[in-house]
Amino acid sequence: MRLSTILLGAATAAASVAAKTVQYDWVVSTVTANPDDLYERDVVGVNGAWPPPPIVVEKGDRLIVNMTNKLDQPASIHFHGMYQNGTNEMDGPVFVTQCPVPSGSNFIYNFTVDQVGSYWYHSHYKAQYVNGFRGPLIVKDPDEPWDYDEDVYLTLSDWYHDDAFYLVKNEFLTLRNPTGAEPIPDAGLMNDTQNVKWKVEPNTTYKLRIINIGGFVSQYIWFEGHDFEIVEVDGIYVENQKASMLYVTVAQRYTILLTTKNTTDENFPFMISFDLNMLDNLPDTLQYNTTGWLTYDEDADFPDAAVIDEFDFYDDFYLVPLEKEEPWEADTTITATVIMDNLGDGANYAFFSNETYVAPKVPTLMTVMSAPENESTNAWIYGSNTNAHVLEYGDVVEIVLNNGDTGTHPFHLHGHAFQVIERSNASDSDDDFITYDASNPGIINEYPMRRDTLYLRPNGYFVIRFKANNPGVWFFHCHIEWHLEQGLAMTLIEAPTEIRERITIPDDHWAACKAGGYSYEGNAAANTENYFDLTGEAVQPDPLPAGFTARGIVAMVFSCVSAFLGMGFITWYGMSELKTTEHEVAQVMGEIPLDDESGESK
Amino acid sequence: MAQVFEVSVFFIVFRETLEASIIISVLLAFLKQGIGRSMDDPVIYKRLVKHVWVGSAIGFLVCLCIGGAFIGAWYSLGRDVWGSSEDLWEGIFSIIATVIISIMGLAMLRLNKLKEKWRVKIAAAMEERNRRGRGMFGRFTRKYAMAILPLITVLREGVEAIVFVGGVSLTAPAKAFPLPVICGMLAGSAIGYLMYKGGDFVKIQYFLIIATCFLYLVGAGLFSKACWYFQNHNWVSFVGSDVSEEGSGAGSYDVRQSVWHVNCCNGETDGGWMIFNALFGWQNSATYGSVIGYNCYWIAVMVSVALMLYKEKKGYFPFLKSWTEKHEAKKIAKRRARMERIRAEMEEEEDRVEPKNVESDSV
Repeated sequence: MRLSTILLGAATAAASVAAKTVQYDWVVSTVTANPDDLYERDVVGVNGAWPPPPIVVEKGDRLIVNMTNKLDQPASIHFHGMYQNGTNEMDGPVFVTQCPVPSGSNFIYNFTVDQVGSYWYHSHYKAQYVNGFRGPLIVKDPDEPWDYDEDVYLTLSDWYHDDAFYLVKNEFLTLRNPTGAEPIPDAGLMNDTQNVKWKVEPNTTYKLRIINIGGFVSQYIWFEGHDFEIVEVDGIYVENQKASMLYVTVAQRYTILLTTKNTTDENFPFMISFDLNMLDNLPDTLQYNTTGWLTYDEDADFPDAAVIDEFDFYDDFYLVPLEKEEPWEADTTITATVIMDNLGDGANYAFFSNETYVAPKVPTLMTVMSAPENESTNAWIYGSNTNAHVLEYGDVVEIVLNNGDTGTHPFHLHGHAFQVIERSNASDSDDDFITYDASNPGIINEYPMRRDTLYLRPNGYFVIRFKANNPGVWFFHCHIEWHLEQGLAMTLIEAPTEIRERITIPDDHWAACKAGGYSYEGNAAANTENYFDLTGEAVQPDPLPAGFTARGIVAMVFSCVSAFLGMGFITWYGMSELKTTEHEVAQVMGEIPLDDESGESK
Repeated sequence: MAQVFEVSVFFIVFRETLEASIIISVLLAFLKQGIGRSMDDPVIYKRLVKHVWVGSAIGFLVCLCIGGAFIGAWYSLGRDVWGSSEDLWEGIFSIIATVIISIMGLAMLRLNKLKEKWRVKIAAAMEERNRRGRGMFGRFTRKYAMAILPLITVLREGVEAIVFVGGVSLTAPAKAFPLPVICGMLAGSAIGYLMYKGGDFVKIQYFLIIATCFLYLVGAGLFSKACWYFQNHNWVSFVGSDVSEEGSGAGSYDVRQSVWHVNCCNGETDGGWMIFNALFGWQNSATYGSVIGYNCYWIAVMVSVALMLYKEKKGYFPFLKSWTEKHEAKKIAKRRARMERIRAEMEEEEDRVEPKNVESDSV
């Protein structure tokens, strides 16, 4: 079968097509699917079909997605990687830029795409996208700098047989999972199916857009017998970089140029393989390798992939963007430590330092719009449990993340691509941590790499910088869906004054709030009178009681009292006289004499 | 320390040794007072005394062999068969242990009663033995009555001790046995000796009271631990294998059932706190079950003591006056009948023997 293609047309067609409007009318509903041929399950389909269709636009186009939610739960769509400059209200994360779109409602996403590259879209309502509501978003560039013959895409994903909401509620975010072990996927998918046979012509250069649309596991990808050149990451063009294997975390994209061989007598496997270090345990039934084939000859053999000794992948830190920028100087720094810990309900949560993310009652963007002008710049009104930071327009913002956890975390910043200033290695042991020391920096590239999703190594750190020139409320979070459910997110309110000037929230967005019964005005606690009064806001569960609470002290005292009373009774028993014993003995003995009682016997 | 000194083992061995030494001391007291014509002949007296000791020693040695074999077999068969239901087994064994030591505990405070009971028993047994001794076997047993009796009783007490010790310490490591066994034997023998010497009963009684208090503290701790083990078993089954990774921290216990939890001082694994665990049932993570269990145990002990005191004073349990009187009357009637029978047979025998032997040496 042909890999999904986006026909470019002849490379010599010079004149760029005039910017147009591309509209998709989607009815989102539940359908059934069985992509790994192992289990049929309910998934979120679009227009009655699954997988959801790709969105294909050209630079400069206006994209309109007219979504009607026919699911029995709310929904939303986030266009991952789109900067949404001037259209923050179209970004998609619920309770950040919009209310969840209730069942039965309609919602329109309408914005201009002023960037190029490989992206994707997915639901941003809780864990919904893991149930299948995700797909590629391709922005074609009429002025690409490369020569190639065909433009194709390949999505990678992990796949679960169980419903994601069920997994979160019953197996993941509960007290019966105190270590926070993430649910183990059941299969890997390529283009939402398996055993992909990609028909290729010899001596042809393909531009392959690799997009990880999964919810949890990073995957390695390699093509047996073929090397390739990395040309783009997350929408940022880079200097061609030769490589033979990539490590793609969820939400990341790599576009590569792959040139096929001269001969057509063999087929070559290409593999995607789970990063098994991310899984807490490895069930025997898990197929963590998924194979496809570069099919030169459909009648030839399709060999199994060879076993490899190690994963020798290209570290994206060293990519050099085509548009070179020197590292910016930071105007403001946000430093946080990623921590996973348990709270009073026994479940395991994720924290930036000591705060986990709990969604506010009013979407943060709507708080910006409804608050009094002078109060909108005060982070307080956005909630005490939303990890809210207010940024000044034009500042260079630096985010330093120290990983207090032994897991790999891919972090994504909405609304921007950031400069990757530093990224440390993982530490050698689980008990050691490598933290960022500004006075003792690690390796910094002359022209830092830029992208919008970057992974943090176990016990290590990274430093990123971006310019706050895109007014809006932008979410910054770990893209492992389970960790987002655990609250590993922060809210960046970038230039609230400018947001109020430039952003207009359309009527159907307000209507969705009203239809769903959500508050759309006020601070994080939906208080419209006093924005500094956060009473009633959603907060994280209480911490686990450390040591003796009142209940414990009472129990201990009671127990000691019982013990002493009991011992008192025993002492009483021991001291008391034994009146009946002698009596009994005498009764029994009756007339039989014992020498010491009644004299000699005869 | 708890790994080399299993407290419940100490108490059981102590108690059984005590009982055995009481028997021996009663026998020796009888001898002193002239049974078996010891008053007439110091040589015979010395011989009979030697019989008592030899019999006891043999009985004791046999016990040691049996005990050693039993424990050796038990441990060589391997104890790691519990697997995922380890907590369940620990709980069951703790219940068995607490029941055993709770029942035997209070009896230690009625040593006089014990002594009297044994006097009666021994006397009756000696009567029977003397009466039944016919033929060679009979003559043998009659001749060595003073050896066989202690042998059998020591053997019986010893086997009882082994069985009980096995019952209370099914999950203890093998090296936790020798020390408490030796200490228990020493303590029990000491008390028995003091009783024989007619020592200060009051002082002995104080010691016994303290010992019994400790015994019941251990028993309460065991009961509390049993409840804790059952709840822990439920928790581990609920969560799965991850619990063992959590040490003493979050996730190692069920927050819904927790009465208190400290992240240190784990009674199962942390040094000195293990002693607290062995003596008082201390848990760093107490549950409703373990706390309520502990208190219920003491309440049960207090109620039992009250009932027993009541019975001793009045002769019957509360509300059971008429039943008790009937029951006791039956018991006494039976014993009296038996004594009558013995006496009748004694007279019969006397008649059969040379009539001119007025003084029968069977008394």
